[in-house]
Amino acid sequence: MSQPIIAVDRITKRYAGHTAVDALSLSVPPGVIYGLLGPNGAGKTTTIRMIMNIIVPDSGSVRLFDTTGTGRDHSARIGFLPEERGLYPKMRVLDVLIFLAETKGVERRAARAKATEWLERLGLADWRLRKVSELSKGMQQKVQFISTMLHEPDLVLLDEPFSGLDPVNSQVLRDTVVDWRRRGKTILLSTHIMEHAEKLCDHVTIIARGKKLVDGPLSTVKQQHGGKHVTVVFDDGGGGSAAAGVLADRKLVAKTDDYGQYAELELAAGADHQEILRRLVGAGVRLNKFELVEPTLNKIFIDLVGPEAAHAAAVPQVEGVARA
Amino acid sequence: MRKTFAVIRREFVERVRTRWFWVGTILGPLLMVGLIGVQILLAGRKVGERHIAVVDATTTGFGRALTSQLGAAVTRFHVVRVPTTPVPDSLLADSLLGEVEAKRLDGFLLVGDSTLEFGTAEYRGSNVSSVADMEQLEGTLRRLVFAARLERRGIDTLLVQQAEIRIQLATHKVSGRKLTGESGVQSFMTGFGMAILLFVAILLYGVNVMSSVLEEKTTKIVEVLISSLQPFELMLGKVVGVGAVGIVQLTVWLVSAKLLSGVRTSAGVPGGFQFPQIPTTTLVIFVLYFLLGYFLYAAIYAAVGAMSSTEAEARQAQVPVQLLLMIPYVSFFGILNDPNSSLAVWMTLIPFWSPIATPVRWGASPIPVVELVASLVILLVTVIVVTWLASRIYRVGILMTGKRPNIKELIRWVRAG
Repeated sequence: MSQPIIAVDRITKRYAGHTAVDALSLSVPPGVIYGLLGPNGAGKTTTIRMIMNIIVPDSGSVRLFDTTGTGRDHSARIGFLPEERGLYPKMRVLDVLIFLAETKGVERRAARAKATEWLERLGLADWRLRKVSELSKGMQQKVQFISTMLHEPDLVLLDEPFSGLDPVNSQVLRDTVVDWRRRGKTILLSTHIMEHAEKLCDHVTIIARGKKLVDGPLSTVKQQHGGKHVTVVFDDGGGGSAAAGVLADRKLVAKTDDYGQYAELELAAGADHQEILRRLVGAGVRLNKFELVEPTLNKIFIDLVGPEAAHAAAVPQVEGVARA
Repeated sequence: MRKTFAVIRREFVERVRTRWFWVGTILGPLLMVGLIGVQILLAGRKVGERHIAVVDATTTGFGRALTSQLGAAVTRFHVVRVPTTPVPDSLLADSLLGEVEAKRLDGFLLVGDSTLEFGTAEYRGSNVSSVADMEQLEGTLRRLVFAARLERRGIDTLLVQQAEIRIQLATHKVSGRKLTGESGVQSFMTGFGMAILLFVAILLYGVNVMSSVLEEKTTKIVEVLISSLQPFELMLGKVVGVGAVGIVQLTVWLVSAKLLSGVRTSAGVPGGFQFPQIPTTTLVIFVLYFLLGYFLYAAIYAAVGAMSSTEAEARQAQVPVQLLLMIPYVSFFGILNDPNSSLAVWMTLIPFWSPIATPVRWGASPIPVVELVASLVILLVTVIVVTWLASRIYRVGILMTGKRPNIKELIRWVRAG
């Protein structure tokens, strides 16, 4: 495998009385969409800020593009959309984009051409000479997204990119991100919405309270942490006691979510789903459907961080406060 | 460097585009033109006629002579004599006051034998606040009393008239063994004008830098900027960009002032206020100290902006800075009065005050080269040190939210890696 684009080695950031990120290591391979997942206050934003060297870790190191230099040194190759977004409200849309591209080292004329092109692509061409303050929040967010992508970065860091967007604009952003990956670029995005991550990400890392709980390619994570699941749809209203007898066998089924017509089964370790089917049929249960399914990322997430998230919500969120 | 230039350009262009900039730039020269226009109008206006009664309680005939001679000396004074007894007559005074109230009389002059003996006289009128009227009245009275007293001692009236000469003291500022062609009033005007302009300009553009820092902080765009720019590049770009706007605006003001100072000779505004001549050296000193002063205060204002979270908080935090700048501004009168006093010398040397004090002092009197060089060197070193300190505070402050740091925390920010 090629060298990681981002190699984070045991970074730790402590704030007065609490540890935001605790010895976290990440390895983002090139050409993937990498999901940094976690509940509110898990340390996602702090981690991304440390990757960008906006805040300096108390210990540990960050290596970008398998070479030396901070995020700022490589800023021409990095697009960064922070969680707390803002633009100059009194500036014209086009001017803001040109200026932000210039700070990334893009030449003015090229920046103007690119900005116009992107504004057209995201349906904002008519707004290019308007002031930012005249735009709706969703439009402003798209302008910010353009500013992240304008200089065609090899690595894009998006902190909660979909928050506050309507489904249509959300889709536009998703399409752009997928397109970017197709061109061989790397995207790291943080989110707490698992549906987005599940559809987009090749790789995921789930963190909670600053610690990594799991990471790896999405399929691997699902295999390792989701267990085996079966969906059963009964033909005769709950399958009666015959079905209940089979489902209650803890050697076969670890957990049952019975919805009456429909049940989700989590298989016990080492159990064979064929054995369950045979037993159900043998017991005279009539089935409409018997399907082997993958667990959703959402389920894995809740199983893993459920207790953690509940705890995290109880302490005040100080993630946004940087102290040197 | 190119990134810093992008910041400079943004700060400059966005400011020049505002209505505020154009209003401010044009308003300055308009005010100056207006000031001169008013002077021309005032000078051209006919000075009012005055009706004055001389209440004559003298026993010598001095009152009679005074009445005729006062009318002759000041043609716009129409003087009538009202004879009275040496004992004050309250009825007469009442009726004269009635005349003044009815505006048939501007006022009345009470003279008696004591006028000639002790030089005392009394004037009651509605025009006592007119400096010109009172000066002419007093001057004429003094001359007449003087002549009458000499005559009483037997000195020939003709001889007295010949001996009498009107003194006109012309004040001219001397600079480097040369006459500058500048009067005392004009020196004062130059100093006063420079004090106002420097104070307003440094404060205005300093506060502009502060708001700009604060805007980036409150809109959170600073996080994006800081991911591609060094904090110092950003701060420097801001200070230089806003400063460039200041230079453009000041240039417009100064050039129009310089042009207007030429108007005097051609239009020949008579008497009173004249727009002062502004020598090129004064302009150079002015611009130099404006730039250094601006950089000094802009750095401080950038730090103040960075350590605040809201506009209201920043306004409050900048009060001490404003007071610091106000000290030389309010002392300009003292500096002009005695440009070589220890106050003036200290103000020239203390870097937080010299940006205003030195040009003002220069406007009043040349400054020894040693003092000028010392002042510049101290100021320059301070600018460098303060900018360094400010950039340390700025670097940490722009990413902070929450309460404003205290001194201890500020020191920690400055020291932080």
